[in-house]
Amino acid sequence: MADHRATADDDGGILVNGDKPPRPKRGGLSERALGRLFVAPSILLMAAVALFPVIYAFVLSLYDYTRRQREGFGGLQNYADAFADDRFWGALWFTLLFTVASVAAEFLIGLGFALIMNQAFRGRGLTRAAILIPWVIPTVIAAQMWFFMFNVTPGFINTVFGLGNFNWLGQEGWATFAVIFADVWKTSPFVALLLLAGLQTIPGDMYESGVVDGAGPFQRLWYITLPLLRPAILVALLFRTVEALRVYDLPQVMTGGAFDTESLSILVQQYVVRTPDPGYGAALSTISFVVILGIGMIFVSLLGRELVLERTTER
Amino acid sequence: MRRDGRAYVAAAGALVLVGVACTPGDDDNGDGEGGEIVWAIGGAEAQPGGVHQSVAELWNDENPDNPVRIEQLPEEADQQREQQALELQAEGSNFDVLGVDVIWTGEYSENEWVESLEDVRGEIEEASIPGAFESATWGGELWAAPYNTNAGFLYYRTDLVDQPPDTWEALCDQAVEVSQSEDIGGFLGQGARYEGFVVNWLEYYWSAGGELYNEDQTEVLFDTEIAAQATEFMADAMENGCYAPGFNTAREEEGRNEFQQGNVAFLRNWPYVYSQVAGDDGSPANGNFDIAPLPTFTGQGTVSALGGFNNAVSAFSDNTEAAKDFVVWAATNEEAQTMLATEGSVPPTLESVYEELSDDPVMQVLGEILPDARPRPPAPEWNQISVEMQQSLFPAVNGDADVQSAVESVRSYLEGTVQ
Repeated sequence: MADHRATADDDGGILVNGDKPPRPKRGGLSERALGRLFVAPSILLMAAVALFPVIYAFVLSLYDYTRRQREGFGGLQNYADAFADDRFWGALWFTLLFTVASVAAEFLIGLGFALIMNQAFRGRGLTRAAILIPWVIPTVIAAQMWFFMFNVTPGFINTVFGLGNFNWLGQEGWATFAVIFADVWKTSPFVALLLLAGLQTIPGDMYESGVVDGAGPFQRLWYITLPLLRPAILVALLFRTVEALRVYDLPQVMTGGAFDTESLSILVQQYVVRTPDPGYGAALSTISFVVILGIGMIFVSLLGRELVLERTTER
Repeated sequence: MRRDGRAYVAAAGALVLVGVACTPGDDDNGDGEGGEIVWAIGGAEAQPGGVHQSVAELWNDENPDNPVRIEQLPEEADQQREQQALELQAEGSNFDVLGVDVIWTGEYSENEWVESLEDVRGEIEEASIPGAFESATWGGELWAAPYNTNAGFLYYRTDLVDQPPDTWEALCDQAVEVSQSEDIGGFLGQGARYEGFVVNWLEYYWSAGGELYNEDQTEVLFDTEIAAQATEFMADAMENGCYAPGFNTAREEEGRNEFQQGNVAFLRNWPYVYSQVAGDDGSPANGNFDIAPLPTFTGQGTVSALGGFNNAVSAFSDNTEAAKDFVVWAATNEEAQTMLATEGSVPPTLESVYEELSDDPVMQVLGEILPDARPRPPAPEWNQISVEMQQSLFPAVNGDADVQSAVESVRSYLEGTVQ
């Protein structure tokens, strides 16, 4: 349950106050006003560090640049350029493909791991620790490691499986597969961890009564575990989807964006750093932001409904 | 009680934030006092023990009043450029001397980030090798003093190959033959999609007689026929086994590694590989390899792409005069330039050092190559051009795109840059 509270707090602070009638005054400011006063500094801080860059990026994206020199106001030209650019669509397509494929695989594998870790068996602590190792490794290092594993030289994977000189990272399709594979390896444990936390909140007597009613293991999974795990699943999918949508380090290190593995973030980085065009770069990052925000909002609204439903059933 | 405790923590946190915001930068290096020269340069040789440090020490012994301090930048050229750009964009005076990659000259001068060195042009031009000097100029004006240069070699295995090939075709024939008879890879270069790919492609293109621009970059001389020939050659080499497996994901280090492990017969790489392989007692290539100039399509001469770093004086430096003295000294001082070759792995730009060290095998081949080596155009838009060439040519080399339309799109992009 700890998970919900953490996400609910982000937007629910004021709502909670709104639900209850204000307490009688004890002199000075009302409790609500006092609450707002206390919250104000952190809201201001959040606005300064989170909202300001977003707005500033949008403002930048309206200007026309030649390299670093500002040429003047360009309106929405940068956006028009982006939407007319095949590279943008290619990057968007890869990013979406990467997100769907990696999140789906991570969810299934993570759920499997979580179910295993939730069982009582000898060496459970060791298993839990072992499963978490990939997640602990910094992503760039994991990416470099998988580059060595997949690449023809030195070619660890080819040697182990006797594949000769199969060029995983040097052809379309397989390069995408390799990047997704590395991401699944890296973050399945994270999903498993979140789902495990959810699993542990499901009371054991639910399963007992299921068994009494004659439910088999799959029926218990389908009718008890998954519905009760829904909030945890949504949180895990939200985190992973948002993270997958802004993937940068894995494809950058493993393929450099070659062979149709260029993500939106790689494209943004190119226009901000390598071939600077702050206007176009800002436009691309604003588009990425909108895409990520939109998909994130869908999850949050699903989650919010979940919480509301829960609260009404609790009453 | 507990709640009070939290309030204190929160208050303390707020104070810390305010404190951080108000602390003046205390890493000021005393620019106003006119003494120290900060030299912002990156790469392996800028690290402690690297040859740039030795050069700085040599200067400091002679000029204790204006000592040089190296501000170490990252290894990757792109990241070095970004660090310098952050400082210069803000007109910061923290860097006095900038280690500028040969392809950044135009961008830096156009942005007015560097001082013109026209007033000391004479002595620098006289002492430096022409290619390196050219790479430090833009729009007919000198913006940096040459410091170190770089050029591509053909490394080959003397136990597998009798004679280094004169033409690319002969190289590929030998590579295919050796790879079949010895069961090792043929030829490896920099084939991954990054700047190195463009460098390798240009060496084919130039060696077939191609040009990108005219002298002052007002006209595009890009020849689509020659470009198609170069691209076609690379695509065929991918297909027919001339290139060793993994060519299209190999950068400098992958190639160096394969050659050092004895897995390929030929390698196109920079001079640094020589000492690495020669110093590795366990390498099958050690004692069984030599270096030669890169082949061409005609069998005549050689063309290599120039690399290297020049030293520029920051336009925002508070110590311009001393910085200028230092860059001129680093370009023309025989002892400092000799160090680059003897202690480091970066070829010097001072012409006289090449005569002096003509017994050294690397210096010998460099002396042969450098007169014909060519800089990539140091235009302000070079990075965009390079990315565009990677986008068009890399898929064509890999058989994922049509060669003719790839070279056409490079041509039309280049034409867009001169209008």
